[in-house]
Amino acid sequence: MNIELTTITRSFGKNRAVDGVSLEVGPGVLGVLGPNGAGKTSLLRMLATVLPPSSGEIRLLDRDPDRTEQRREIRRRLGYLPQNLGYYPAFTVVEFIEYFALLKEVPPARVPQAVATAVERVDLGAKAKARLRTLSGGMLRRVGIAQAIVNHPDLLLLDEPTAGLDPEQRVGFRALLRDLGQAATVVVSTHLVEDVGAACSEVALMDTGHIVFRGTPAELAGRGERHGVGDAPLERGYSAVLQASRQSGVAA
Amino acid sequence: MTEPDKNASDAGELDLSGIDLGRVWTGVAAEVWRRHTGPVERIAARLLRSAGLARALLTTPSLLLPWLISTAVVFGVGGLINIAGGQPLVWLLAPGIAAIGIAYAYGPGVDPAWELSCSMPVSQRMVLLVRAVCVFAVNAVIGLAVSTITYAVSLHGARPVNVEAVAVTVAWLLPMTAICALTLAVAVAARSASAGAFAGVLAWAAAVLASGSASGQFTAAVTDSSTYLPYLAVAVAATVAVGYATRRQRGTQ
Repeated sequence: MNIELTTITRSFGKNRAVDGVSLEVGPGVLGVLGPNGAGKTSLLRMLATVLPPSSGEIRLLDRDPDRTEQRREIRRRLGYLPQNLGYYPAFTVVEFIEYFALLKEVPPARVPQAVATAVERVDLGAKAKARLRTLSGGMLRRVGIAQAIVNHPDLLLLDEPTAGLDPEQRVGFRALLRDLGQAATVVVSTHLVEDVGAACSEVALMDTGHIVFRGTPAELAGRGERHGVGDAPLERGYSAVLQASRQSGVAA
Repeated sequence: MTEPDKNASDAGELDLSGIDLGRVWTGVAAEVWRRHTGPVERIAARLLRSAGLARALLTTPSLLLPWLISTAVVFGVGGLINIAGGQPLVWLLAPGIAAIGIAYAYGPGVDPAWELSCSMPVSQRMVLLVRAVCVFAVNAVIGLAVSTITYAVSLHGARPVNVEAVAVTVAWLLPMTAICALTLAVAVAARSASAGAFAGVLAWAAAVLASGSASGQFTAAVTDSSTYLPYLAVAVAATVAVGYATRRQRGTQ
């Protein structure tokens, strides 16, 4: 398993953002769905080793992120797209991706090829030498995705990756996700259920810090067959599961 | 007739069916787009044993140019004041300026890609330490130059030679180390570069005023050798505090 979480919690003051989550994830694409404030971003930040848990155990890529050397090894094999991607406006697309490739300790001799491959995979070849300050929001998001995949990660964490992408780009991105998920563990946090349906082999639904559902997109859609609100089967499943978990007050 | 034509066709056209054109293009793009590193970055990468660290040191926009400019301005102005008035004011200014420089080179408020940087194997603490050393090194070189110029000018001037000016590098490096370390400790503990800078400048002002009033000499904070031990103690304590504050914590933040 590339991700093993055992009853992890994360608190910010009195607010418990992630509450006793246990999860095991192997290769494939896992979509993490949930309303705003469900704890998705906090969960991804912990998986990205940016944020340590308040309690519980995390193992990533069979390593313990609490140990300095093992955390470093995890980070070499990790790709992370934060919800709010900060960038250096004066950098070009290639400079930005190259910078993070070097910080990820990709061997310097392999960096140019890795950067070119990443740029082409997100279809930014025409903008390779453009300064980041000149790019649209959707293009910046693709730059963020390119830096996340530049080291061919075994664990790829994407927080709201399709925000700002137009429909055509989103279709292309879903294909990229499916491709990446064949060899790596990809975790995608989103609130767009159509992304999950099209690209994810599994889905976890979070609410108030808990995982209230885990299964395939088809299983989630099945939960909403006679209940739920929404235009599409997945949306109905999403709302039905949330409604049921809030009524019962416990994680399903 | 047909045979020669076929041979001509075989000789004149390439069979591209076995070539992955996408791969070829990526190889070409890699060569076209690659950024050729300069000699300074190559040396830094060799010294630091990390190409990533060298790139972080030399290309992060918040780092290089502002520090170089501010340091050059401070020492230039200080040197002129020193030459004109005989007061080594530059020694008094340097620690505060360096402290502010380091404090503002650290933290999520300064680095727009902070969140991303925190997930990298090249640790932020290492980047921070390297940047601090870089500031000291740059300031030491410029300080030495200013000292030499000051000494040379005073040798040829009407005023007596200011021997203390020769030791300016040692005189300000020690308090600067202490104040910078204190600034770092406060900035890291408070998670605020502004808080660190404020604490550093405040501590330095207090040291200057206290040693000045105790000895009756305005520049005692940098000229009185009895202050060296307290500076060392502050530097060590602050370094320990930084190490403690930047350890990986479990629990709430």
